[in-house]
Amino acid sequence: MTASTVDGPIAGAVAEGTLPGRVWMYANYHCNIACVYCLTESGPRVAPRVLDAQAMLDVARQAAELGFTDLGVTGGEIFLRPEMPDLLAEISRHLPVIALTNATLFQRRLLDRIDVLAGLPVALQISLDRPDADANDAMRAPDNFAKVVAAIPELVARGISVRIATTVESIDDVELDRLCALHRGLGVPDEDHVIRPIVARGRAIDHGLGVGAVVTDLPAELTITADGAFWSPFGPTVHGGLLDTDLLITRTTAPLSVPAKALLRLVEGQPRGADSALNIR
Amino acid sequence: MRALAEDHSDLDHHSDLLVGPDQAPLLARPYYASGDPGPIVAALAQVPELLETAMPFLGAALGPSGIDWRTKEIVIVRTSALAGCRYCVQAHTVVALDAGLSLDEVRALRTDIAVADAFTDPRELALLDWVDVVAGSGPVTDDARAAVRRRWAGHEVVELTALVGATLLLNRFATALALPTGPDTTARLATEGLS
Ligand code: SF4
Repeated sequence: MTASTVDGPIAGAVAEGTLPGRVWMYANYHCNIACVYCLTESGPRVAPRVLDAQAMLDVARQAAELGFTDLGVTGGEIFLRPEMPDLLAEISRHLPVIALTNATLFQRRLLDRIDVLAGLPVALQISLDRPDADANDAMRAPDNFAKVVAAIPELVARGISVRIATTVESIDDVELDRLCALHRGLGVPDEDHVIRPIVARGRAIDHGLGVGAVVTDLPAELTITADGAFWSPFGPTVHGGLLDTDLLITRTTAPLSVPAKALLRLVEGQPRGADSALNIR
Repeated sequence: MRALAEDHSDLDHHSDLLVGPDQAPLLARPYYASGDPGPIVAALAQVPELLETAMPFLGAALGPSGIDWRTKEIVIVRTSALAGCRYCVQAHTVVALDAGLSLDEVRALRTDIAVADAFTDPRELALLDWVDVVAGSGPVTDDARAAVRRRWAGHEVVELTALVGATLLLNRFATALALPTGPDTTARLATEGLS
């Protein structure tokens, strides 16, 4: 099913650009590392809040049926779930997928299993913040840089689409040039590199990091979690171990039309020109 | 779909079940726009889609309508007293006084004194008989229905019966969740000698 074959208010709003086309899913909240700016305070010992595989498949199918055009999968570190490669392959049968990962778990066993994604419309978006290991790892985890620069060429060589996400408070031109040279050398072209600010939610608050963001600063991308549906993947954040609900839309996530229509009503209620200049994507 | 953790009490901001203004979900924000929305809204805000459906219904059932304010408060206070709902009795004692009921009338509705010692209007007495039957757990007989129908029009009986039902819903909700009585209400009740 493609968007052009879908009717209905959501498909119309997506086609007009009133609603973003991507639906995000939080696969889980736990992570093997604990970055200082993590929106979800993820780490090895947090509640996993898993969105189970069937729920993710249902979201993917219904998103396509409603007229959304893309899917995103994020966490937590999604590859802590052993079934994730096969699950991403399955959901990509409905819509193209961007899957966010820290790329630190790509040892031989996972690399072998990730081969199922080769040639599929699944892009892995990998975090790489700085061109130097020390600066990068200070914000993320020891050996993070080394693991990431080792994993990217392995994935590219397997025919898996890779994007790079750089999350920084600021980066000067010289450092950015070196970072871009690095990702090009790893096989990732400029158009697959995104730079975004740290958002002052989650653990970033405790480290005095990030830009404050209100609802109009954040893309109105429908985001499904085990705890409900939220406005943007920057919505279902965790602070002090507690889930934020200020960007909660509905607790109902199935059928997906319930939160999708509520989101559309909220978007249509926004004053014109209220969208952000913060480039939070 | 739920998180895997079995005990959720430490996973959300609302350990007391009430959503504060800084965590008000998007669909709930209009209810917080002019200050504290009260504990019923603050609890329902946990499930925004339920809040935005429930509030228009509750407003239509308990708020201004074709039936006068005094009559509606008679029904609400009496029903809440029979259901043993501390929160609703206290909140609507104040509203009933504002609606013009006397202290003795409110005491009678709260079952502190006999209804016959405070109410004399045959229409209101018929209504109170009906509320006692509807809010009770026993059968609703044809005789009881006929008695209220002699004093009240069909559409009034329907609306007042729905009001009993809506009040009972709130009574059980407020009691089960131990919703707190607001400080203004507590102070007014003390002033009136109706704590
Ligand atoms: S930012 Fe990503 S990689 Fe870092 S702790 Fe959070 S979920 Fe894990």
